[in-house]
Amino acid sequence: MPRTPYSLALVAALTAAGPLLAQDEPAPDTLPATDAAPDAEAADPATETDTDIGADTGDAGAPAEGDEVPAEVAAARAPQPQPEVGADWPFWGGDTDATRYTPLDQITPQNVSQLERVFEYHTGDLPEGTAEGTYSPEVTPLKIGDDLLMCSAMNILISVDAATGDENWRFDPGVPNEAIPYGATCRGVAVWTDPEAAEDEPCATRVIQGTLDAKIVAVDIADGSPCESFGENGTVDLWQDIGERVPGWYAVTAPPVVVRGVVVTGAQVKDGQAEDSPSGVIRGFDARTGELAWAWDLAAPEENRNGPPEGEVYTRGTPNMWTTATADEELGYVYLPMGNSAVDYYGSNRSEAENEFATSLVALDATTGEEVWHFQTVINDVWDYDLGSQATLLDWQGTPAILLPSKQGDIYILDRATGEPLTPVGELTDLPQGEIEPDYISETQPYSEWHTLRMEPLEPKDAWGATPLDQLWCRIQFHRANYQGYFTPPSSDAPWIQYPGYNGGSDWGSVAVDTERGIIVANYNDIPNYNRLVPREEVEGVPIYEQDERGTGPEGAADPQVGAPYGINVNAGWRNPVTGMPCVAPPYGGIRAIDLETGETVWDRPLGTARRNGPFGIPSYLPLNIGTPNNGGSVVTAGGLIFIAAATDNLFRAIDIETGETLWSDVLPAGGQANPIAYEVNGRQYVLVTAMGHHFMETPVGDSVIAYALPE
Amino acid sequence: MVAHSTTTVPRHRNWAVTILGWVCVLLGLLLLAGGVWLIVLGGSWYYALAGIGLIATGLLLTRQHMAAVWVYLVTWLGTVAWAWWEVGDDWWMQVPRLLAPTLILILVLLCLPALYRRGR
Repeated sequence: MPRTPYSLALVAALTAAGPLLAQDEPAPDTLPATDAAPDAEAADPATETDTDIGADTGDAGAPAEGDEVPAEVAAARAPQPQPEVGADWPFWGGDTDATRYTPLDQITPQNVSQLERVFEYHTGDLPEGTAEGTYSPEVTPLKIGDDLLMCSAMNILISVDAATGDENWRFDPGVPNEAIPYGATCRGVAVWTDPEAAEDEPCATRVIQGTLDAKIVAVDIADGSPCESFGENGTVDLWQDIGERVPGWYAVTAPPVVVRGVVVTGAQVKDGQAEDSPSGVIRGFDARTGELAWAWDLAAPEENRNGPPEGEVYTRGTPNMWTTATADEELGYVYLPMGNSAVDYYGSNRSEAENEFATSLVALDATTGEEVWHFQTVINDVWDYDLGSQATLLDWQGTPAILLPSKQGDIYILDRATGEPLTPVGELTDLPQGEIEPDYISETQPYSEWHTLRMEPLEPKDAWGATPLDQLWCRIQFHRANYQGYFTPPSSDAPWIQYPGYNGGSDWGSVAVDTERGIIVANYNDIPNYNRLVPREEVEGVPIYEQDERGTGPEGAADPQVGAPYGINVNAGWRNPVTGMPCVAPPYGGIRAIDLETGETVWDRPLGTARRNGPFGIPSYLPLNIGTPNNGGSVVTAGGLIFIAAATDNLFRAIDIETGETLWSDVLPAGGQANPIAYEVNGRQYVLVTAMGHHFMETPVGDSVIAYALPE
Repeated sequence: MVAHSTTTVPRHRNWAVTILGWVCVLLGLLLLAGGVWLIVLGGSWYYALAGIGLIATGLLLTRQHMAAVWVYLVTWLGTVAWAWWEVGDDWWMQVPRLLAPTLILILVLLCLPALYRRGR
């Protein structure tokens, strides 16, 4: 892995920034507006379809038990009218349900071959100095009215004309390079319209993002000017009540969601640093004022609901949510795909609360911040199996449901109101517990009996290479490692093989659901990791708060895990250090169509050609569809097409949803590790993808936003 | 095993054959060393055996001996049989098993004219 040489300039910058960063913004002296409703019950689903803004508190999301709820708070917490997907792409996941399905049908399998580029817009945000080697923008724009709304890798908010690619405005919040956590990523933004504001009022409709330096920024959709009524001049500081500011340790990379006028966000806490890490607290802020509406600190939900007491911080080291939540305006819930605790590969020091909520989908009442239900996908996770995918709302056989894909590839469908599984969940038993912490490692784990993207366990003969020699090397590594199949526990005497690896299964790109045809489209990775717990005395890496220079290796490569008796060394993708090739055969990733009724596979194929891959990092230029690692999801159109980039071959392609056949593709100028979108302007359908590259996926960096349409 | 070949003095040594011979010896030694390690770890015996076949082929080639071709043919056929037994028609899995050994087979066969002249 390339290690960016660190310049003295950054040290100087850090030193200079220190005093500035140390000046915490004053704590808000007024308590949050929701102060009055801490005892509110979970919303009653039966009453939540009422969109009457002036509804009394009994019909609003938070029926308070005797507490006085200010009228404007109640109004802000009632369901609000939601924009529809079609001409627009108003949410990161497309529609309110995050299906990534568009009703547009102008582009079809018959005419897709005529698709041509309409414009290529450049954001101009390319890595400079210490940001070199860290860019993984992953951005998906929204399309609202005539405009595309997006953020760049370093959180520059940009509005672009959706038909021409001309820039309307930009707003640069000035995120410094040292704020980059694992990668410079901004997957997208949220847009919220204040139902009470006059249309021409400033910030009546606002673009909201979370930044790498852990701020929420709100600007006017019309001209990009900061919303003065929101926080401090359009900014809310998320470092508030988190603890010592260490740039890059605590960062937002996912778009926030807005539920009933509450902006909900978590943050990425850099993995593997220390058990004493920033809290994984989830916070809701009033979308109008930026005031804290509630906090959900899973280890102190009651005590810290309105923020921790003076001089204290949210519970440290708790599981965080780095990916995108799903808003349920109707029930007033927000569904949080939670990750693991900050130290991923050792669990004995975790609290009961951490064990309870880690790697779970958690439903909160977004009006009060109270937990409604949670569904755990891994018991006592020591594999970094964070939930990475955004969950999708759908109606499943008559029940309002939520579909959850996991990094292990399992797909669960749960009752949205209760969290009860609607599809069968099995239990793996008699799992190996290893020697490191046998009392902590669970003997049992849940799995989806309905559908999984996971493949069969590895065998010695799966060792691979270009020649018998490198294959032999991998085969020796296989026999040297501990491997007892799925959920092999971590070990230190010898490495262990983790399969599937932490990249999925399904990752942040999530799945698309064609609700008309009843088909789930899931792209996935199929790659093991080769890991070893490193005894404390051998650990060379230092935690981020002691670093004066920042590594750029892949996640988990030599992380210190301070507080645990072991650091962690991850060989992501189990690659041969000489050839750079994985120790297992392709395909490394695929795309699959799944029947939503039965859970059966309709078709399944490798995703990604060999054109950019080969031994020693030399592009082979082979058009073979080998199936490469991929990151980023798909969009599914009513026209019967799946549009997806994601793979490391830099191709953007259209796939026939009925057959899985690639019908069209275009070579992108950089890696397309981002979810595409579809929209319409003046009756013309566009599909759009950003090509900005990805450091971990080793695709070239760029700054392009490219729109395609049929010839006029 | 190559004693009789020393009874005739080579008219002229073919350097390409000799170089291929030493390359085979080197690759064979690597395969044998790694293969023995794999056997100790409880893994497949194929690599060590293939290493021995390759070393024998290489030594015979350096002596410009026709038996090299026969020894390698046996090694290669054994490789194909083992590869088919292990992974069948999974062609991605066959890449490391068959590609390089077959390339070496072609190179060894290309030595035939030189070895034939030498053997007359």
